[in-house]
Amino acid sequence: MSMPNSCALVLVNTEPSFRYDPLPLSGPAALYDVAGRSPLLRVVERLQRCGIPRVTAVIAAERSFFPRKNVLPPGFDCRSALDDTFWQVAEDTFVELTRSGADLVVLIRLGAYAEVEFEKMAEAHLERQCPVTQALCADQALEIFCIAASGKDDAASLFRSRFQKCRSECPAFIHTGYMNPLADARDLRQLGIDILTLKTETRPSGKEIRPGVWVVPGVGIDPSARVIAPAFIGTSARIGAGAVVTRCTVIEHGAYVDCGTVVENSTVLPSAYVGAGLDLAHSVVGMGRIANLRRNTTVEVADRNLIAHFPMRGARRLMRMMTEFLSALSAKLGRVPKPETPAPPALEPAPPVPDVLNVTPETPAGDNKDAEMAGVRTDGDQ
Amino acid sequence: METNSRPVVVKRMPERVNARSAREFWNDVQPFVTADRPQLVFDLSPVIQLDAAGVDMLLRCMAEVHKRDGDLKLAAPSEPAWVVLELTRTERLFEIYETAADAVRSFSGFLPQGMRQQLLHKRPPTSAAA
Repeated sequence: MSMPNSCALVLVNTEPSFRYDPLPLSGPAALYDVAGRSPLLRVVERLQRCGIPRVTAVIAAERSFFPRKNVLPPGFDCRSALDDTFWQVAEDTFVELTRSGADLVVLIRLGAYAEVEFEKMAEAHLERQCPVTQALCADQALEIFCIAASGKDDAASLFRSRFQKCRSECPAFIHTGYMNPLADARDLRQLGIDILTLKTETRPSGKEIRPGVWVVPGVGIDPSARVIAPAFIGTSARIGAGAVVTRCTVIEHGAYVDCGTVVENSTVLPSAYVGAGLDLAHSVVGMGRIANLRRNTTVEVADRNLIAHFPMRGARRLMRMMTEFLSALSAKLGRVPKPETPAPPALEPAPPVPDVLNVTPETPAGDNKDAEMAGVRTDGDQ
Repeated sequence: METNSRPVVVKRMPERVNARSAREFWNDVQPFVTADRPQLVFDLSPVIQLDAAGVDMLLRCMAEVHKRDGDLKLAAPSEPAWVVLELTRTERLFEIYETAADAVRSFSGFLPQGMRQQLLHKRPPTSAAA
């Protein structure tokens, strides 16, 4: 069955919760980078791969959480909304999409990150000839719906009840693939682990420079630092001399792990600084806070020698944009393979992963140039 | 409180241990730290913020106490204190007890049950919102 004229509407906000959350995040989890890209962008790419080229997102969050314009895929439109008017803007956008000629709208709230087979869901929806179909995973209702353009009233009841109820009965589409609730810092960390250990269909950004070690061009890793697989290091991140990055650690873009620090089973969020000589384990660090997963607590750290947050501004941001532009250009010219490689078949045995890797500047010449452009240096540059 | 005929001094640490309060605390405890064979317990239960300066002060106290053949133990660290002690790899340098009373008793006998939290990385029962 061919896919009808369809489009997708992705909603991202933080619903107020009265439940005590020991590991809160500052913004919606779907907007945090995980192994190079946010769950939002991963969902958009998945929708487009499934034959839904037009995707619109309505986001209620601080502007700093929005995806950068230079990483937005073509066909993806990103709109902002205030918390108070979020659901009204979402409903208006849905109506606008149906008026623009879409026969079917895939409606998603992130929320949980689920690798749903959208083609199969759309097929099931069309076969049943019902206005709304909802995805279910292990008896848990996901906020993922297929809505026919004719089901405007059903959609309106969904939006007005904040996805709590629908006017007509929603048949279920059973999702058996990967799902992560993305409710707090623990889930964000788990998603990073699952991406690095290839439990998800989505893959880390960048290039796999060693089995299990993904690095985005433009990083600065000191030759004396050790990066042990699996690990991910994002654009413009810096790893200082003698530092050790190990056990499914994810270092996001612009983060800086200072000399001698051991980062184990942790996520260092974008633009976070982790001081020298520290031992960071089982944690999510960023925005001047540590969410310690083993102790199930979040601690604000006021001492900038230990943990700090340096958002990119001015010249640093410009440098980074230039780095990304040069990487994209060199990928287009065929000098460096495209970062996005298709996922290997699920049953294919994983390549042997060495225990310890010493990441030295063996990256292609273009990568070193990128590192220079990003204003970072390795010992080899001295 | 006295054990082994020598007094054990228990000091409560301030809520915020930054450079300034660490200096003040050091001035407070210096007479005890520089006594002969001092036995000290620092109660970390009120701590809601511990900086590198605070950790440095703890290490300084420990060094001074050891110079004089004494001992310094920590008691009831709050969650923020635990996180920073672990982050700075200093938690392994101290004996840490669940309560100040356990820490005091440990000067006269080995109390493994008092160190349970440290050994099992268990959350303290009193932990509320961090």
